Amino acid sequence: RKKPLEPKMSRSFIRVFKDYAKMPVATESFRIVEKCTEKYFKQLWNDLAAFSSHAGRKTVEVSDVEVLMRRQKLVTDEIPLHVLIERHLPLDYRKLLIPVAVSGNKVIPEIKRS
Amino acid sequence: MGRAAPRAALRKMLKNEKPGFRLSACADLLVHLNFLLFLRRLAEEARTNAFQNRSRIIKPEHIILAAKVIEHF
Repeated sequence: RKKPLEPKMSRSFIRVFKDYAKMPVATESFRIVEKCTEKYFKQLWNDLAAFSSHAGRKTVEVSDVEVLMRRQKLVTDEIPLHVLIERHLPLDYRKLLIPVAVSGNKVIPEIKRS
Repeated sequence: MGRAAPRAALRKMLKNEKPGFRLSACADLLVHLNFLLFLRRLAEEARTNAFQNRSRIIKPEHIILAAKVIEHF
Protein backbone atom coordinates (compact mmCIF):
# COMPACT_ATOMS: atom_id res chain seq x y z
CA ARG A 1 0.00 0.00 0.00
CA LYS A 2 1.98 2.93 -1.29
CA LYS A 3 -0.95 5.21 -1.97
CA PRO A 4 -0.86 8.47 0.00
CA LEU A 5 -3.70 8.99 2.42
CA GLU A 6 -4.67 12.40 1.13
CA PRO A 7 -4.76 13.34 -2.52
CA LYS A 8 -2.43 16.28 -3.02
CA MET A 9 -1.23 18.57 -5.73
CA SER A 10 1.67 16.80 -7.39
CA ARG A 11 5.20 18.03 -6.88
CA SER A 12 5.71 18.73 -10.56
CA PHE A 13 2.97 21.33 -10.46
CA ILE A 14 4.50 23.04 -7.51
CA ARG A 15 7.55 23.46 -9.73
CA VAL A 16 5.49 25.91 -11.80
CA PHE A 17 6.39 28.29 -9.00
CA LYS A 18 9.91 28.34 -10.37
CA ASP A 19 8.72 29.46 -13.79
CA TYR A 20 6.80 32.31 -12.24
CA ALA A 21 9.62 33.34 -9.91
CA LYS A 22 12.01 34.18 -12.76
CA MET A 23 14.97 33.83 -10.43
CA PRO A 24 16.77 30.99 -8.67
CA VAL A 25 14.75 29.29 -5.97
CA ALA A 26 16.43 27.50 -3.09
CA THR A 27 15.63 23.80 -2.98
CA GLU A 28 14.28 23.93 0.55
CA SER A 29 11.88 26.70 -0.51
CA PHE A 30 9.74 24.21 -2.35
CA ARG A 31 8.78 22.61 0.92
CA ILE A 32 7.28 25.92 1.99
CA VAL A 33 5.52 26.34 -1.35
CA GLU A 34 4.05 22.89 -0.88
CA LYS A 35 2.79 23.84 2.57
CA CYS A 36 1.26 27.04 1.21
CA THR A 37 -0.40 25.04 -1.54
CA GLU A 38 -2.01 22.75 1.00
CA LYS A 39 -3.37 25.69 2.96
CA TYR A 40 -4.51 27.38 -0.22
CA PHE A 41 -6.49 24.34 -1.35
CA LYS A 42 -8.04 23.82 2.05
CA GLN A 43 -9.38 27.37 1.96
CA LEU A 44 -10.34 27.07 -1.71
CA TRP A 45 -12.52 23.99 -1.21
CA ASN A 46 -14.14 25.57 1.82
CA ASP A 47 -15.01 28.71 -0.13
CA LEU A 48 -16.27 26.86 -3.17
CA ALA A 49 -18.41 24.55 -1.07
CA ALA A 50 -19.84 27.59 0.70
CA PHE A 51 -20.64 29.33 -2.57
CA SER A 52 -22.34 26.37 -4.18
CA SER A 53 -24.33 25.40 -1.10
CA HIS A 54 -25.43 29.01 -0.87
CA ALA A 55 -26.88 28.57 -4.36
CA GLY A 56 -28.51 25.35 -3.17
CA ARG A 57 -26.27 23.08 -5.20
CA LYS A 58 -23.99 20.18 -4.47
CA THR A 59 -21.97 20.76 -7.62
CA VAL A 60 -19.34 23.45 -7.89
CA GLU A 61 -20.14 25.28 -11.10
CA VAL A 62 -18.03 27.56 -13.27
CA SER A 63 -19.97 30.53 -11.92
CA ASP A 64 -18.96 29.68 -8.34
CA VAL A 65 -15.30 29.79 -9.26
CA GLU A 66 -15.89 33.05 -11.10
CA VAL A 67 -17.50 34.60 -8.03
CA LEU A 68 -14.56 33.39 -5.96
CA MET A 69 -12.08 34.94 -8.37
CA ARG A 70 -14.01 38.17 -8.26
CA ARG A 71 -13.71 38.15 -4.50
CA GLN A 72 -10.01 37.50 -4.82
CA LYS A 73 -9.87 40.56 -7.09
CA LEU A 74 -8.43 38.45 -9.88
CA VAL A 75 -11.47 39.03 -12.05
CA THR A 76 -12.40 42.70 -12.20
CA ASP A 77 -14.30 44.91 -14.59
CA GLU A 78 -11.02 45.69 -16.36
CA ILE A 79 -9.87 42.07 -16.48
CA PRO A 80 -12.76 39.76 -17.29
CA LEU A 81 -12.47 36.05 -16.73
CA HIS A 82 -11.95 35.10 -20.35
CA VAL A 83 -8.88 37.33 -20.56
CA LEU A 84 -7.33 35.39 -17.69
CA ILE A 85 -8.28 32.13 -19.38
CA GLU A 86 -6.65 33.25 -22.60
CA ARG A 87 -3.50 34.34 -20.86
CA HIS A 88 -2.91 31.38 -18.63
CA LEU A 89 -4.54 28.25 -19.97
CA PRO A 90 -3.40 26.21 -22.98
CA LEU A 91 -5.44 26.26 -26.16
CA ASP A 92 -7.28 22.96 -25.61
CA TYR A 93 -8.76 24.17 -22.34
CA ARG A 94 -9.47 27.59 -23.72
CA LYS A 95 -11.57 25.93 -26.38
CA LEU A 96 -13.58 24.14 -23.73
CA LEU A 97 -14.20 27.26 -21.68
CA ILE A 98 -14.68 29.73 -24.52
CA PRO A 99 -16.43 27.93 -27.37
CA VAL A 100 -15.73 30.65 -29.94
CA ALA A 101 -12.40 32.41 -29.79
CA VAL A 102 -12.37 36.19 -29.88
CA SER A 103 -10.92 37.21 -33.23
CA GLY A 104 -10.70 40.24 -35.49
CA ASN A 105 -14.42 40.82 -35.59
CA LYS A 106 -14.31 41.57 -31.82
CA VAL A 107 -17.36 39.50 -30.98
CA ILE A 108 -17.07 38.50 -27.35
CA PRO A 109 -18.94 35.23 -26.84
CA GLU A 110 -20.77 34.14 -23.73
CA ILE A 111 -18.75 31.96 -21.41
CA LYS A 112 -20.17 28.47 -21.28
CA ARG A 113 -21.78 27.83 -17.94
CA SER A 114 -22.34 24.18 -17.32
CA MET B 1 1.93 27.83 -19.08
CA GLY B 2 1.35 25.03 -21.52
CA ARG B 3 0.73 22.30 -19.00
CA ALA B 4 -2.11 19.85 -18.77
CA ALA B 5 -4.32 20.43 -15.76
CA PRO B 6 -4.47 17.61 -13.19
CA ARG B 7 -8.22 17.33 -13.58
CA ALA B 8 -8.71 13.98 -11.87
CA ALA B 9 -6.47 15.02 -9.00
CA LEU B 10 -8.49 18.19 -8.43
CA ARG B 11 -11.72 16.21 -8.33
CA LYS B 12 -10.24 13.77 -5.85
CA MET B 13 -9.02 16.59 -3.66
CA LEU B 14 -12.47 18.16 -3.47
CA LYS B 15 -14.04 14.79 -2.75
CA ASN B 16 -11.53 14.19 0.01
CA GLU B 17 -12.01 17.60 1.59
CA LYS B 18 -15.76 18.01 1.07
CA PRO B 19 -17.53 14.69 0.63
CA GLY B 20 -20.82 15.18 -1.16
CA PHE B 21 -19.59 18.01 -3.33
CA ARG B 22 -18.39 17.59 -6.88
CA LEU B 23 -16.92 19.74 -9.62
CA SER B 24 -18.92 20.43 -12.77
CA ALA B 25 -17.57 19.78 -16.26
CA CYS B 26 -15.40 22.84 -16.76
CA ALA B 27 -15.09 24.14 -13.21
CA ASP B 28 -11.97 22.09 -12.56
CA LEU B 29 -10.17 24.01 -15.29
CA LEU B 30 -11.00 27.27 -13.58
CA VAL B 31 -9.80 25.87 -10.27
CA HIS B 32 -6.56 25.01 -12.00
CA LEU B 33 -6.38 28.55 -13.39
CA ASN B 34 -6.95 29.89 -9.90
CA PHE B 35 -4.15 27.73 -8.58
CA LEU B 36 -1.77 28.99 -11.26
CA LEU B 37 -2.64 32.58 -10.41
CA PHE B 38 -2.09 31.84 -6.73
CA LEU B 39 1.36 30.44 -7.46
CA ARG B 40 2.16 33.41 -9.64
CA ARG B 41 1.16 35.83 -6.93
CA LEU B 42 3.16 33.92 -4.33
CA ALA B 43 6.17 33.89 -6.64
CA GLU B 44 5.93 37.60 -7.31
CA GLU B 45 5.67 38.49 -3.63
CA ALA B 46 8.56 36.18 -2.78
CA ARG B 47 10.62 37.75 -5.54
CA THR B 48 10.00 41.23 -4.19
CA ASN B 49 11.01 40.08 -0.72
CA ALA B 50 14.17 38.52 -2.09
CA PHE B 51 15.05 41.77 -3.87
CA GLN B 52 14.49 43.79 -0.73
CA ASN B 53 16.85 41.52 1.17
CA ARG B 54 19.38 41.77 -1.65
CA SER B 55 19.25 38.04 -2.04
CA ARG B 56 19.88 36.51 -5.43
CA ILE B 57 17.95 33.39 -4.62
CA ILE B 58 14.46 32.89 -3.20
CA LYS B 59 14.86 31.47 0.29
CA PRO B 60 12.15 29.87 2.44
CA GLU B 61 11.77 32.97 4.62
CA HIS B 62 10.93 35.07 1.59
CA ILE B 63 8.10 32.72 0.73
CA ILE B 64 6.85 32.62 4.31
CA LEU B 65 6.65 36.42 4.33
CA ALA B 66 4.90 36.38 0.96
CA ALA B 67 2.41 33.80 2.17
CA LYS B 68 1.52 35.98 5.15
CA VAL B 69 0.80 38.90 2.84
CA ILE B 70 -1.52 36.95 0.57
CA GLU B 71 -3.20 35.02 3.35
CA HIS B 72 -6.29 37.20 3.03
CA PHE B 73 -6.44 36.38 -0.64
